[in-house]
Amino acid sequence: MKVAYNWLKEFVDLSVPAEEIASRLAFSGTNIAGIENGAHGAVIDAEISSNRPDCLGMLGIAREISAIYRLPLKPVAPKPAESTSAKASGAVRVKIEAPELCGRFTARVVRGVKIQPSPAWLKNRLEAAGVASINNVVDISNYVLLELGHPLHTFDYDLLRNHSIVVRRAKAGEKLKTLDGIERTLDPGIPLVCDTDGARAVGIGGIMGGGETEISFSTKNVLIECAWFDPIAIRRATRFLKLHTEASTRFGRGADPEMAETASRRCAELILQLAGGELLAGVIDVYPGKRAAKKITLTRAEFLRVMGADVPDKDLEAILSALGFAPVRVDDNRGAANSLLAAWECTQPSWRADAEREIDLVEEVARVYGLDNFPPRLPVARIAAARLPHHEAETRLRERLIGLGYHEIITIPHVAEERNDLFRPPDAQVAKLANPLSEEAGVLKSTGLVTLAGAIEWNLNHGQRNIRLFEIGRQYRLVDGKPVETRVLTVGATGAAREQGLYDAAREYNFADLKGDLDAIGALSGGFRWEDGGPEWLNAAKRGTLRLGQEGNQPIGAAGLLAKRVADKFKFRQDVFLAELDLGAVDCMFYGVKNNRRYEPLPRFPGVERDFSVFLEDGQSFAEVKKAIEALGIPEVTSVAAADLFRGKNVPAGKYSLLVRVTFQSREATLTEAQINDFSGRIVSALEKTLGASLRAA
Amino acid sequence: MPTVDNPAGKTLAELGAASPDEVAQLFSEVRALFDNQAAKQLDPATWEALKQVWTGRKSGVLTLITDNWLKPATPELKRAVGQELNKLKAQVESTLEARKRDVESLAEHAASAKDRADLSLPGVLRPVGTHHLIRQVFQEIEDIFFSIGFSVVEGPEIETPYYNFEALNIPEFHPVRDDMDTFYLELPKGAPGPLLLRTHTSPVQIRTMEKRQPPVRVIVPGKVYRRDNPDATHSFMFHQIEGLAVDSDITFCDFTGTIDYFVKQFFGESVKTRFRPSYFPFTEPSVEFDVSCVFCGGSGTAKSGGTCGKCKGSRWIELFGAGMVDPAVYGFVNYDPKKVSGFAFGIGIDRLAMLKYGIDDIQAFFQNDVRFLRQFP
Ligand SMILES: [Zn+2]
Repeated sequence: MKVAYNWLKEFVDLSVPAEEIASRLAFSGTNIAGIENGAHGAVIDAEISSNRPDCLGMLGIAREISAIYRLPLKPVAPKPAESTSAKASGAVRVKIEAPELCGRFTARVVRGVKIQPSPAWLKNRLEAAGVASINNVVDISNYVLLELGHPLHTFDYDLLRNHSIVVRRAKAGEKLKTLDGIERTLDPGIPLVCDTDGARAVGIGGIMGGGETEISFSTKNVLIECAWFDPIAIRRATRFLKLHTEASTRFGRGADPEMAETASRRCAELILQLAGGELLAGVIDVYPGKRAAKKITLTRAEFLRVMGADVPDKDLEAILSALGFAPVRVDDNRGAANSLLAAWECTQPSWRADAEREIDLVEEVARVYGLDNFPPRLPVARIAAARLPHHEAETRLRERLIGLGYHEIITIPHVAEERNDLFRPPDAQVAKLANPLSEEAGVLKSTGLVTLAGAIEWNLNHGQRNIRLFEIGRQYRLVDGKPVETRVLTVGATGAAREQGLYDAAREYNFADLKGDLDAIGALSGGFRWEDGGPEWLNAAKRGTLRLGQEGNQPIGAAGLLAKRVADKFKFRQDVFLAELDLGAVDCMFYGVKNNRRYEPLPRFPGVERDFSVFLEDGQSFAEVKKAIEALGIPEVTSVAAADLFRGKNVPAGKYSLLVRVTFQSREATLTEAQINDFSGRIVSALEKTLGASLRAA
Repeated sequence: MPTVDNPAGKTLAELGAASPDEVAQLFSEVRALFDNQAAKQLDPATWEALKQVWTGRKSGVLTLITDNWLKPATPELKRAVGQELNKLKAQVESTLEARKRDVESLAEHAASAKDRADLSLPGVLRPVGTHHLIRQVFQEIEDIFFSIGFSVVEGPEIETPYYNFEALNIPEFHPVRDDMDTFYLELPKGAPGPLLLRTHTSPVQIRTMEKRQPPVRVIVPGKVYRRDNPDATHSFMFHQIEGLAVDSDITFCDFTGTIDYFVKQFFGESVKTRFRPSYFPFTEPSVEFDVSCVFCGGSGTAKSGGTCGKCKGSRWIELFGAGMVDPAVYGFVNYDPKKVSGFAFGIGIDRLAMLKYGIDDIQAFFQNDVRFLRQFP
């Protein structure tokens, strides 16, 4: 809303410069986008919030200024000369058939006008406000809209058929060509202004007039419509029609029904002044929506309860009076100024539909009095603060992953459905958007994998080759039509595990890196169980399913090498490893394991290591070796580890060589050579017997 | 090699020392001898030899003095010899230790250029990851509010219109809905009610108040969504921290004091704050909150002399909206609006991070280019 400084002077006697006014407005609730000094004086660009349609006119802004500076506001009382012979009631009839859409409709008629260009002062005012000049009568209706904030519409009286106006609901599918030349299809929520007793539509009420009855340079007689339409109906209609106008903005936010007749009179006054003619006596005023003004009580107690600091009676009353609330002290201590028991009965002004409760009056007083008059203080906390339940688990996990070289990422969950499907389990229902911005962002990710792979893709496409990322985020799915958001940890890596440097040779990131890193975080939750198998997006030879806690527990995730089929879709030309874990289970186990963790005394006697080098068939696992040794039940065996593994030279085809390192240690005594030889002998024969493994000289 | 031309090989009697003064005289000769030898230029080998000569267990000077002077000394002299010997021992040991440091340091300095570390070369660089910058800012803000009694809670991102709008006093066709262009979910036939992506973290206010009775003091970090076309300052997903405090005695002054405290913790004590009246359907009175521009120190002038680009010369930067909880909201959660009061705020995290770190493209946060991530370790 462009506010011309000179125009404001018609309503308040201003002596301060525009800059200061703009600043004071900004600190009392009218947001100011800027000030321009143009050909017609300073123009303040005010951004009016949607609850204050009364400020969408010079009068409203002037009222704000009158409250801020405690200056009197000049009354608006147009008194156009009326015909002594002809009456408006003889020239037009009005009927409102849809009072729930149209609460008031006034009509005046001016005969014998001369349509011509507007005088310079009017053109300048409109230009300052950013409105183009058309002709005197149309300009006048725009002028009154800007001045009083109330929309009007002018018809060429002679183009209206039979002068019987009806305001009714549009019929479904009914059409009307509006002023802008566009034929619009209507629906029954839309108020329609019609002539010929409702037969022909001549305007969309509160939004835009029809093209057939518009003012032209040949117009002789003018009908001034100034009405009031229901804000919700207008907002619904503008959305339906996708049509926003100056009128619909004001009616849509709530115009002042009492202003309708005044604005019409002001319009007639200006027409007589600038276009001549004769105003028919009286006004047609159909006003089914008239309501008594609401009374609102404001107490000092409530003001203090909300604001925490006081405003003196003098200021409080001056502010409310200037804004039109007409405060009257009604408490029993009326004689006592600034009494803590003070109460005021106020009257809601017709232009302030937004202010109908005590809290609204509290805000009115506070904002105009100045928010910096309320001293800041830090309130005392009366309850202990708590972190999120998973805060500690997540923090530990995050720190560990970062220590292992992974960058935390945050991704936008909107992805292409086709990509999402690469990772989506077949039984998971996708959460699809009804109104996406594009197909590439058409669904919410069903797994974190799809956006993590996307982040790897971005980096590879931008010249980065060695990438380790993780995200702690959510996956979004529908279960029986209900949304389910699950917290997941997604990990991804590709490129070198170690780069060629001054001191080390390069090594590519491989499955064992992923497994080791995941086990490092799994240790926080008691350790992962890795089992064969996994989802289709992983390479069947290099993947695993992860479980926590006891054998047979539900899987909590999967990890491995991205399947070629999926990697090809991303055009990955190097191995990419991915894992996803359900954080709910990981966090839950974190706390369980942490709370059950107990100190174990360190052994006092030295441990002894023995290596066993065995040939195993390809496909035989280390787990089988470990199990065979542990099955012997030797309590002094404290660890069974794989120390080395190789194939090739000196190893028969179809077999591989595994170096198994067993640690013996007793809590009671230092082990003797004889004991260790006995354990070793039992291990050798067990491996030979249960696995058919042949032993090499270790 | 120091020579052992000293009196320790003989007994006191052989040396003709019969009084404490004569003993002291002997010891001072021995000390002079040691000082003389220890003062010479030493390398690790000569230092070792010196140590052997004086402290060697079998025939070091100290051992010889013990054997030849102390043990056979007459009872009258024994005390004097013992005292002098202890003094000598202490001096020899501390001098040897000090000389050892000199000798080692000299040897290290003398190391050949080949053995010396080149400090301009990098060390062994183990890859270390980074916290995402948004996460860092979240954490910092959480910690500040946690320190003044705010608990952290979360809520769903897929919401119902009730929690995202209605219960926040934004009925259908409310003009504010036009400013929050909303993503809706496509639902299977027969699914109950529409679902949307929350446009702010405010629905969690309602969810929290439904579950807890006052006093309530929470902050809500999370993702929010608005259907804006992406550009340098818009992302259709971004992050907010919602704050809510409701109690029997919370006032506007408590609200501004809390915000003031937060901002000074986050931006520094010298930052100035101001509140401008504004409008939100779920708060009343509502405010917009500004801080003095942290880039130009609130002067409006950049260091280079021109207009500050960050505040465009206005000296202030608009940070976020907030206000006292509108009593209408309490109606939705069965709080008595006559008995409780409170405040709420919603801070845009991405914008805050961009301001603080001078980032000019919001998309950088979500591209996750490792070169970007590494800039904020
Ligand atoms: Zn600045």
